[in-house]
Amino acid sequence: MTALAELLATHTVRVVLLGAALLGAISGMLGAFAVLRRQSLLGDALAHAALPGVCLGFMLAGARDLGSIMAGAFFTGALAALVMMLITRATRLKADAALGIVLSVFFAVGVVLLTHLQAQGGAASAGLAGFLFGQAAAILARDLWILGGVGLVALLLVLAFWKEFKLVSFDAGFARAQGFPVTALEVALTVMVALAIVAGLQLAGVVLMVALLVAPAAAARQWTRSLGGMVAVSAGIGAASGAVGALISASARGLATGPVVVLVATGVVLVSFLVAPERGLVPQALAARRARSRISAARVLAAMQDLAAAHDDAAYKAERGMIGVALGAAPPADRLASLEREGLIRPVQHPPETTPHWELTRAGRAAERPGPEGRIDPGPATPEEGG
Amino acid sequence: MRDAALHEPGQALHVEDLTVSYGTDPALWDIDLDIPPGVMCAIVGPNGAGKSTLIKAALGLVRPVAGHVRFLGHEIGAMRGRIGYVPQRHSVDWDFPTTTRDVVEMGLYRSIGWFRRPGRAARDRALAALAEVGMQDYADRQISQLSGGQQQRVFLARALVQDAPILILDEPMAGVDATTEAVIIDLLKRLRDAGRTVIVVHHDLTTVQSHFDWLVILNIRIIAQGPVRDVYTPENLRAAYGRQLAMIAEPAGALP
Repeated sequence: MTALAELLATHTVRVVLLGAALLGAISGMLGAFAVLRRQSLLGDALAHAALPGVCLGFMLAGARDLGSIMAGAFFTGALAALVMMLITRATRLKADAALGIVLSVFFAVGVVLLTHLQAQGGAASAGLAGFLFGQAAAILARDLWILGGVGLVALLLVLAFWKEFKLVSFDAGFARAQGFPVTALEVALTVMVALAIVAGLQLAGVVLMVALLVAPAAAARQWTRSLGGMVAVSAGIGAASGAVGALISASARGLATGPVVVLVATGVVLVSFLVAPERGLVPQALAARRARSRISAARVLAAMQDLAAAHDDAAYKAERGMIGVALGAAPPADRLASLEREGLIRPVQHPPETTPHWELTRAGRAAERPGPEGRIDPGPATPEEGG
Repeated sequence: MRDAALHEPGQALHVEDLTVSYGTDPALWDIDLDIPPGVMCAIVGPNGAGKSTLIKAALGLVRPVAGHVRFLGHEIGAMRGRIGYVPQRHSVDWDFPTTTRDVVEMGLYRSIGWFRRPGRAARDRALAALAEVGMQDYADRQISQLSGGQQQRVFLARALVQDAPILILDEPMAGVDATTEAVIIDLLKRLRDAGRTVIVVHHDLTTVQSHFDWLVILNIRIIAQGPVRDVYTPENLRAAYGRQLAMIAEPAGALP
């Protein structure tokens, strides 16, 4: 604990933490739109295509200057997006193939430039390798202003065009029919995602950046019921993942930030997929089990109603074995007990027989029957049903 | 360039010389079409006949290579917001994180205007539109929890909330339950009786006569158009559907 407090006390670590949280928040916020609009893979291609731009920005500025590096990354990212569009329009290649080609070619150019710059030497060029896998420790105090500015602009745009962005993300065709400038809105959203990627490169690196875009949004979707909630929670998860990842990476020597951030964010995704209420796998499995237990009780009740109808006796006293034959298997004792607790059946004597019998109560006779196959809504599919 | 003079203002929808092409094969060829105001019109035709393309081209969602379209004499640009559009249900991701009422309010975004959020008035109008399609109890439900028929009714409510004189629906009865089909048809007939024009891309020939009073039969070209009793003939259906017809319907038996 004291080691952590010491770490937090240093100015550099605070800058890194703040920067990482900021980058995570920006990526999380815009990643929510990217995921909902199915642009996750485009984000991956843009991130990889940013590498040559990072090197060009460095060459032009002659130093590690975040402003020119981001401008370069944005330029080659946009160029890559343009080339992808031209390939899909001019050839028979589909979008995924175009994406794969452009991603690898731009990344290859980036790696060639990077190794060339490193071979030339110079203290500053050593830091460029950090853009491959992310290096939060390289975030400087003056970088915070640029990152903060990008984040603020993105936030203001999202707030200003909130309902238009929502409409375009949900149903672009309807938006176009309503006369909204859909192309402009879509370009704006894509450019903002590209900005988030470019800004996040320092933290996660070109190779893993897409995870910082997708993971917070995927996790946030599990917990929320509205777009506003999803965007806010996604930004929060992004910020937390960025900060925690940066802290872990800063506290150990030679630990690239990107992979750590990705692992942290993925951990959040895993937990969200498992335990989120409603959408989580565990709550769904529990709900399915509850549904099964309801089905069974309902089938017991239906069997008793059938027996009563077959004997033309609403107060037919059914023995357990009789119900079992009607059902194909003896009903578990707790089913009968629970039906009894619900007041749908009651235990009765049927002398001279000494075995326990049950008859339908007034409520049990009136109770609704399950569907034709004796099943009430089976609930979400469970592994054993799906297998 | 707004047209100062109206062109064919007497028709709810007027299409002239319209040709749409994806690549080399025409999806629609030289369409001339007039749908008068106040009718309930079905557009039918076999798969690939260009039914959806026709309404997308009319709405300006697909760029035609030739021809022009007018609604009540206006170009589509001047009619935005006065045409209620119900796209195919499968065109969107129903796992989008939002509620039923929120989707219906989307029909009002245009009239609300830029930089403003929907308020109480929009909320009330959305609830009223949901009530018209019998979905008022689902207003706060997540759209991912709706059945197919309920999704379709929500989409219809989103078009209704605009209070538009012309409604265009793309396959609203595809894959919905009987309750939903009855609700939709009753509602559309009431709208028609109130003077609206209702244009429906339809796939079920057996219900054309009971549901609609105007019919357009399409197969890349216009095969026939006019009142259902004049147009719904074995000759016209055979011309559009060819050999597929026997599998789809028994027109001879169904006809007077």
